[in-house]
Amino acid sequence: MSETAAVETHDLTKVYRTLLRRRDVRAVEGVSLRVEAGSTFGLLGPNGAGKTTFVKMLLSAVRPTAGFARIFGVDCRRSQARRPVGYLPENHRLPGYMTGRGMLDYYAALSGMGARARRRRAAELLALVGLEKWGSTRLSRYSKGMLQRLGLAQAMMHSPRLLVLDEPSDGVDPVGRRQIREILRELEERGVTVFINSHLLAEVELFCREVAILHRGRVALVGKVKELTAGKGYRLVAAGVPERLEAELRARVAAAARRDGLLELQFPSREEANQALDLLRREGCEIESLTPTTSTLEDVFMRTVNV
Amino acid sequence: MSRLRLPVTVVLIRDTFHEAIVRWVFWGTFALCTALILFFLFLLRIDVVEGAKATISLFGQKESKAMDVAKLVRQIHSAVAAFLYMMGMFLAVFASATLMPAALERGRVELLLSKPLRRWHILLARYSANLLLVMLNIGYLILGVWAVFGWKTGVWHASFLYAIPATAFMFAVLLAVVTLVAVFSESAALATMITFAMMVMSPILAQHKLMAKLLSSEWTRQVWRGFYHALPKFFDVGGINMDLVMGRAVSNWAPVWTSTAFGLVVLSAALFLFQKRDY
Repeated sequence: MSETAAVETHDLTKVYRTLLRRRDVRAVEGVSLRVEAGSTFGLLGPNGAGKTTFVKMLLSAVRPTAGFARIFGVDCRRSQARRPVGYLPENHRLPGYMTGRGMLDYYAALSGMGARARRRRAAELLALVGLEKWGSTRLSRYSKGMLQRLGLAQAMMHSPRLLVLDEPSDGVDPVGRRQIREILRELEERGVTVFINSHLLAEVELFCREVAILHRGRVALVGKVKELTAGKGYRLVAAGVPERLEAELRARVAAAARRDGLLELQFPSREEANQALDLLRREGCEIESLTPTTSTLEDVFMRTVNV
Repeated sequence: MSRLRLPVTVVLIRDTFHEAIVRWVFWGTFALCTALILFFLFLLRIDVVEGAKATISLFGQKESKAMDVAKLVRQIHSAVAAFLYMMGMFLAVFASATLMPAALERGRVELLLSKPLRRWHILLARYSANLLLVMLNIGYLILGVWAVFGWKTGVWHASFLYAIPATAFMFAVLLAVVTLVAVFSESAALATMITFAMMVMSPILAQHKLMAKLLSSEWTRQVWRGFYHALPKFFDVGGINMDLVMGRAVSNWAPVWTSTAFGLVVLSAALFLFQKRDY
């Protein structure tokens, strides 16, 4: 455990007060979390659990009613705390009058990047998110998925040490999701802390090492994904899976991810795992492992929020 | 942080200009100013007779009576200054009322707030950019008209240039109102309505001496006076603007000081509210 956490909150509370204080809304209540630098952390919770409010408090868009939050040891209310942070908000509205390249340049300039570095980085990132041909097009012509990918590029422009993503896969097609996951995996390997706020449990399970579940504004559960999901189901890991077969398998599974050249597949039942195993054998793929898991993150989530 | 501040301010101002240009706000006001300058340049003809008298013609229709050139130019200057102060102000407020809340809309403001900037810095930069945008247009129109008349008649009344700071000053005060309403409500329509209401109410409130005689009770007279002194004096400052342009001495500067105080209080309130708001 490193000395300075990427994110550290203590009793963080937000109460939205209404006029005359008749119907105060306690959006977040006494949340204490520690996200280690270099980790991948998923914040889960049903709608209205307080996830977005929590994230916004980290970025000072929402003022805490009580408690405190620190980013790399700096009080989040100080503007300096946001310097190493890249943020992709939920339901963002990127200015439609800007071009893709112009938008990246604008937000990076606000993060304090120099002009030459901005130009170089914008070209790199546009290529990385598959929008190199759209750099000169106004954002008003972008699709939702394209805007989401560009939003991610925006968050990465100044090479942040902490990436806070609020529903990053929102509106993105499966190919785009996979691309985003691969980008995030690469960032993880480089030591960037990734904090994801999402309701897509399978996505979080595949990518994040640690999760916290917020329920009614409180932390209902926090732990390592591996430990929490050591339950019902089957995880199949194979190598040398051709793309065609991978696409076919991805359509059948609860969750899938590619790590270090290996394809990880999560099956809810033994029958489905066996069918996939047969297919993989027929194609001559190597099976690394087939392990039963006690439960998926979805099961854990459902149990935690009592659905 | 201080090393970063100047470029970031420039970036924020540049973005407001960019938005104004793309949304046609800048080009719209620029085109109107250009049209007015071209009108005076090509359609209004002034023939100077014996160096001191002039006849004026519009669309070729000549005004037969010869007039004093300096007086004629001063009258046209004052008409342009009054037109700019009244109509130009309405247009400028309308244009700013769309630009100001745009930066504060949900989904966009969060991104701005996630950057290592102080909130007051973001709002003040936006305010300054709006003001600069309008000042450029005012300056362009006044200098353009001044140059056209100077070139056509040889009369260069420098007092006409007072219309630039006078109009810009009143716009700065009204822009503070737009900013406060934008921060409070994020509504361009409400910002326009409230600011226009203040402009329209100003000449009515300015009749406080007459109203003191007409109102029946002392407390209603006090309320009237209270509103008059508290709200920006669009009408009275307009009168000062005319005095300056016509080269007359200004008898009472109080409307300028009270309007300045109003603008500062409202802008401070906008900054305070923006500092405290949750997005």
